[in-house]
Amino acid sequence: MGMLLKIFFSIFAITSIEARPISYSGSSTLMSMSDNMKDSIYYHYSPTYKYSIGIESVNEKFFDKDFIYLRLTYLLNRKNTKHSQRNLYFQSAIAADNLNNNFYGIHGDWETRRFFSGFGYKKIINNSRNHAEQYYQLGIAPYIGEYGDFHTWIMLKSKKNSLIGNWKTYPVFKFFKGDFLIEIGYDSDIDWDIHMMYRF
Amino acid sequence: MKKIYFLTVLVMSGFAWTSQDHSKSHSIEMHAHSHEGHIHEELVDGRKLEVDPDRFDNFIEGQTNSQVAVISVNGMVCDFCARGIERTFKKDKSVQKIDVDLSRGKVLVMYTQSAKVDFEDIKQKILSNGQNATDLQIISI
Repeated sequence: MGMLLKIFFSIFAITSIEARPISYSGSSTLMSMSDNMKDSIYYHYSPTYKYSIGIESVNEKFFDKDFIYLRLTYLLNRKNTKHSQRNLYFQSAIAADNLNNNFYGIHGDWETRRFFSGFGYKKIINNSRNHAEQYYQLGIAPYIGEYGDFHTWIMLKSKKNSLIGNWKTYPVFKFFKGDFLIEIGYDSDIDWDIHMMYRF
Repeated sequence: MKKIYFLTVLVMSGFAWTSQDHSKSHSIEMHAHSHEGHIHEELVDGRKLEVDPDRFDNFIEGQTNSQVAVISVNGMVCDFCARGIERTFKKDKSVQKIDVDLSRGKVLVMYTQSAKVDFEDIKQKILSNGQNATDLQIISI
């Protein structure tokens, strides 16, 4: 399985020739995320389509600690075609009160109007215990909505946190309309995995 | 189960690997149709225009003395990602209305008749949202 992951990761790293914006130039995004390991609220602003800067408040449930991170996300790579888009991002952050607490990583995706695939890897450095998070995600749109419609994705997500150690695979539903997006996943072991986003 | 899952991942990665960039194609297909009272001579330039006739008719309904920019856009695969295009063009005071056709990868922008429609400016606006404008045709109505 480790070899398969490496192959998958390598394919994405190679094929992600160009990237797309985190958000469009001059826009703001508010995100919240909650799973078995942490709760987070994250605001970022995109001066251009190539990068965003933001601030994130994180409650690490495993350590029972709170962090305030200053974050930078940069578009490493993009490939736009008529029917698809591929992206590769670099993300990094430092804690506002202690530079020794930080994280960095990459995440990427490829999508058409029907299919979605994505991955992410993040290394977290902190005084408590260094650890890593990684995930892979596949999705299909059960119907193709038009601009302004209510959109739905059915997905399968696999993720691992090195603090826990094993991979968990579970279904995720993604819905969005207009500037609001919500992603909801559930697994009996890790409980709810919820991600919300609003752009303005 | 895990083997099936990762086999699927590899297949989808293959799709990504083989997907071709059509950004250099400027040959687009026109669905022949007519609108009473509307001028379509601008389309007769050797190229054909791929727009949904019904969608186009709805877009221009009741409008006169305007010009419609039909912009071909690469990478516009998601409603959530295309939102910025509408917002960016709406800041332009010469823009009267906008329509995004995700299925065909087109953005229709209605300008006032006196506006100067500049493809380089349009490219920049699309790029600021992270996509690429690959073609432009202007239709006077």
